[in-house]
Amino acid sequence: MRMPWNPQQPESCVPDSLVHSDDAIVVSGMRKSFGDFAAVDGIDFTVKKGEIFGFLGPNGSGKTTTIRMLCGVIEPTGGGARVMGYDICSQAELVRANIGYMSQKFSLFQDLTVDENLKFYAGIYGLSAAKFAERRGYILEMADLRGREKELTGNLSVGWKQRLALGCATIHEPRLIFLDEPTSGVDPTARRHFWELLNELAAGGVTLFVTTHYMDEATHCNRLAFIYRGRIIAAGTPHEIKDELARDTILQVEVADGEGALAALEGEPGIKEAYMQGAMLHVNVGERSAAEADLPSRLGSAGFRVLGTDRVEPTLEDAFVHLVGKQGGRA
Amino acid sequence: MSLRRIWLLIWKEFTQLLRDRSMIPLIFLLPVIQLVMFGYVIGTDVKDLRTAILDLDGTPASHRVVEGFTSSGYFVAVARPVDEAGVRKTLDGNTAQVAIIIPKGFADKVRRGQATKLSVIVDGSDAKTASVAQGYAGSIVANLSSKLYPSPAAKPGVTTPVGVDARVRVLFNPTMRAVNTMVPALLAFILMLSTQNLMSQSIVKERERGTLEQLFVTPIGRAEYLIGKLLPYVAVAIIQILVVFTVGTLWFKVPFSGSVAVLGVGLGLFMITALGQGMLVSLMSRTRYQAQQAGTFLMVPSMMLSGFVFPLSSMPAVLIPLTYLIPLRYILVIVRSNFVKGSGFVALWPQFLAMIIFSIAIFGLGLSRFQKKLND
Repeated sequence: MRMPWNPQQPESCVPDSLVHSDDAIVVSGMRKSFGDFAAVDGIDFTVKKGEIFGFLGPNGSGKTTTIRMLCGVIEPTGGGARVMGYDICSQAELVRANIGYMSQKFSLFQDLTVDENLKFYAGIYGLSAAKFAERRGYILEMADLRGREKELTGNLSVGWKQRLALGCATIHEPRLIFLDEPTSGVDPTARRHFWELLNELAAGGVTLFVTTHYMDEATHCNRLAFIYRGRIIAAGTPHEIKDELARDTILQVEVADGEGALAALEGEPGIKEAYMQGAMLHVNVGERSAAEADLPSRLGSAGFRVLGTDRVEPTLEDAFVHLVGKQGGRA
Repeated sequence: MSLRRIWLLIWKEFTQLLRDRSMIPLIFLLPVIQLVMFGYVIGTDVKDLRTAILDLDGTPASHRVVEGFTSSGYFVAVARPVDEAGVRKTLDGNTAQVAIIIPKGFADKVRRGQATKLSVIVDGSDAKTASVAQGYAGSIVANLSSKLYPSPAAKPGVTTPVGVDARVRVLFNPTMRAVNTMVPALLAFILMLSTQNLMSQSIVKERERGTLEQLFVTPIGRAEYLIGKLLPYVAVAIIQILVVFTVGTLWFKVPFSGSVAVLGVGLGLFMITALGQGMLVSLMSRTRYQAQQAGTFLMVPSMMLSGFVFPLSSMPAVLIPLTYLIPLRYILVIVRSNFVKGSGFVALWPQFLAMIIFSIAIFGLGLSRFQKKLND
């Protein structure tokens, strides 16, 4: 069902010419302002059907606001998007009926049982009794919750909660699922298990829109977009994004006083970027080789004892720091 | 709008409520405990009682009687009806709390040294005020008596066969049991507790846990969510009202002389107001603890400034203007007057008007803020 074109908000519609039948999401010039603050500042991107699309960015960069707009929860102040063919402004309810959404909080009702949670969401999405019986069986199997149907959700361990939340969010078999940091606060084993489930869904042709803090998870994605201060600063396959740094040398430096060494290197000539990666210091020395940069002696003369220097392949995290640094330099 | 979704939301809310083991005793016992507690709170200093004066005699002697009352500081003349029906009207409409009737021929009898009779009528629907008023009236009349009959017979210690005999009559609530006025007041108070506090707690809980966020990415509409949230607490409030009413009338033997329609319309309007306050509280609070604090913040002035605990007549003059801003103040007059004296819409129209204004303003404000908050 198409809503009549509304002359008052011509900019909130995405032109049909931009939307192809194999697009799950088409975002065009989408903006959201809260007073003077532009949380999302005119973004464009497309997600193809069947893709695992990674949406990355630091906290407060506009990630959640973007997702809330794409889910038809809040309206953009400008621009718009089509989600599974539906306009997010004029057809918000249809958008919500055709997507699944799961957040980091695994928003289950803790004081309802496993079965009651399933029954609730099945009813909300309008499943028939027969369909519910079928989906309930599948989800209990998938989440490994057989025999725990009558248990209070609040008493389940985090991994179970997470899988049940995924089950509730997909009980109506949506072809597009939004996952907002679905694995934060979950142990590595459960994270791996969860990604297996996501890969299974993707193999069945479901489109996944995932935000994450974990760079290793971002490499699971077919394509990525980085959002920073409300703008998309990079988009492409994980490979393409790492290619941004293809000509740069990234050195991983093991040094006793990492923070001190970092302070000493920042802003020095020949140092493009320096930052902590875990306990290690990562230094981007641009197009020079490790020998030319000669970090051990430079740091040594400043009083820092270098235990080792290795050239490393750039990771997504390196790429991200690089992209954010470039953005900051421009501002 | 989907009835199925609304029904699911209500089912979910009740399942959650019933699962909370502390909830059921709270819903049923809290009203009874409050009934017992507040039922026996004793009134303190009462001043400036609104008094209607019917002077059928109109002589210097009767003026002295009136002056004796008004100069005492306890009674303020607010109405001078011309007949007994007029007196009744001022009491029904809550214009006056006390009425003094001086019969025709009062001065003649005083001059002839015969015993005279004064009628002092006290509105018993506010038991604390009534009992204090009764006491004051008695001592003022005794004092007047000794002035009007300066005969040796009036000397202290001597029983006098003549004098002014004040027949103090307590209208509406002859036994003046505090519980008779606390039961109707509790109907309104419990309603406010349940709808405002329980509902705001439940909305904030949903936001805290992220389930609100989840619900709004499903096809559930905002109106459906609100209805699904409001109705369960309306039901809880109605159950509690029935508990207070039943225990009050059967166990505490509070006579009910009002009409269910007047009571129902009044409490209905008050409930809309309380639901609006509940929405506003839930918007101001991020955590359930904050919601509790905000609820208490609203509850304290309501209890103190509405006449629920302390009679308005004993309140410092500077606080009186504030009491007009408290919705509970108006509903208390409605429920108490209706319960005890059966006053209807005609006598209580100013209070009903105030309740209509409050319910539209507060519920409307809550609704619009709620919509706005969800859009950001």
